[in-house]
Amino acid sequence: MTVLAAHDLIVARGGRALVDRLSLDLGTTGSIALVGPNGAGKSTLLRLLAGLDKPDSGSIRLDGADLGTLSAVQRSRRIGYLPQHFEPHWDLTAGQLVELGAHRLEGLGAAAIRNVLESHALNDLADRRWSTLSGGERGRVLLAMVLVGDPSVLLADEPAAALDIRHRLDVAALLAARGLERLSVVVVHDLDLAFRFFDRVVVLDGGKVAADGPAAQLLHDERLDQAFGVRFERVATAAGYSLVANGR
Amino acid sequence: MRVWFGLTAVLLLALIVAACAGHDWATPADLWRALAGDTSLRSRLLMDWRVPRVLAAALVGGLLGLGGAVFQGVFRNPLAEPYLLGSAGGAALGATIALLVPLFMPQAYTLPLLAFLGAWGATVLVIGISRVAGAVDAAGLLLAGVAMAAVLGALRSFLMLALSDETVSLQVVMSWVLGGIQTPTWSGLGVLTAISAACLGLSLLLARRLDLLGLGETMAKSFGLDVTRFIAFAVLAGSLIVAAAVAFGGLVAFVGLASPHIARWLVGPLHKPLLPATALVGAIVVTLADAIARAALPPAEIPLGLVTAVAGGPFFILLLARRLRS
Repeated sequence: MTVLAAHDLIVARGGRALVDRLSLDLGTTGSIALVGPNGAGKSTLLRLLAGLDKPDSGSIRLDGADLGTLSAVQRSRRIGYLPQHFEPHWDLTAGQLVELGAHRLEGLGAAAIRNVLESHALNDLADRRWSTLSGGERGRVLLAMVLVGDPSVLLADEPAAALDIRHRLDVAALLAARGLERLSVVVVHDLDLAFRFFDRVVVLDGGKVAADGPAAQLLHDERLDQAFGVRFERVATAAGYSLVANGR
Repeated sequence: MRVWFGLTAVLLLALIVAACAGHDWATPADLWRALAGDTSLRSRLLMDWRVPRVLAAALVGGLLGLGGAVFQGVFRNPLAEPYLLGSAGGAALGATIALLVPLFMPQAYTLPLLAFLGAWGATVLVIGISRVAGAVDAAGLLLAGVAMAAVLGALRSFLMLALSDETVSLQVVMSWVLGGIQTPTWSGLGVLTAISAACLGLSLLLARRLDLLGLGETMAKSFGLDVTRFIAFAVLAGSLIVAAAVAFGGLVAFVGLASPHIARWLVGPLHKPLLPATALVGAIVVTLADAIARAALPPAEIPLGLVTAVAGGPFFILLLARRLRS
């Protein structure tokens, strides 16, 4: 089982700390939503956890090994990173894109690629070029590219932000469901989705962890209101609680 | 498969047409006789001068295409061109020095050597400058390359004015700078063939990683590519390919820009098929352009670079317009 943990991370840019002595144990499995106001350091933290950027100080350990000592290929096999925006520079087909994602895993055959295409309902799209795909189809292709090797850690940065509500629900449910067997850490802007689908919620504010706990508990935590600088009204609905900002 | 067969057939046809073309036109029958070992003066002229020149043009074209495809892949910009990145400018500066300054070695060695060093040095400088300036992305490199190309061009002009005298005519330098295939000996052609094959092999080694880079730097990184190192390596490989082309063909514009585009229409954007297809397209384009350069204004020869610029300029403008509109 993979354990991912960050210890005492600091990232400063232009004299401002984006991530400020942040420690966070993400454990082995579970679905974790990272929430927080703009500039809280959510995306920065996610990129650090994915090994895409290096912290100024502090360390990230993956199964006890320092993430910085792993090669880019070793990292890429165990950590899947779903970016907020993705736009390939060349107009490849959906099948070619998924194949590129599969390339980081040695010996992943055509059968595995076909399986991934099928499980993301991409069979009919395999030969379609990126430029001809709709927003929802693109989202599915990107998911298939990242999940093709079934990485033990999935880090997703607001993957559904540009999608319509139906696709956003689908994606949130899918990412959270991965937490049953693996580790799924997702930056979520929509607090309702975060509390409805994810087991654990981590609130970031000013580059620090402001609150961290099971979603059901944290929902009623004062620190949530403080981090966002508003007063939330918790409205019970059939689908769970809905947070409505009600004054400052 | 049909595309490859078609490209090869067109290249063969272009080679035959080009071997016949010249201020003294030959027929395919003349060509056949010469290839069959006929020893008449006409056949010997064809075999010793025209055929090696035509083959050299094809190889230089292939190299130019490859260099362009590698640079477009690295910079993920379909408008990237070796000439925008300083490598061709560096090669030209090195060659100008070889042509104008008496050195301890014969020019046949110093010219390719200094062209290689110039291209390599300019590219290393471009990477260095963009790193120092804090620009690690493709746009930063491209801008550093544009600045470098301008400086190198000015240096070259200064050298041409300061160093040329009655003994080394400016015309020699000018005709080289404007682009023109040197007619090689058969052994020289062998060297060029080996270099071209090595360059094709080198570029194919980059193919999969160029595809990854095309996903954007973040995705490429998350898929296991060491982006910074790969860009530096691929730029070097690209500038070596360009230097080889420049050493044998002078400054020939727009082939490196246009060939990858044409190849992308034919085989798609994945680099493994794209690179060899681009080499074939470049070979066809330069073979025909060189034939025009030799045959259009007999007995004079138009510099090859002028032919490709006249044909390629409008192509570039068309691409630019399409890109701006979309």
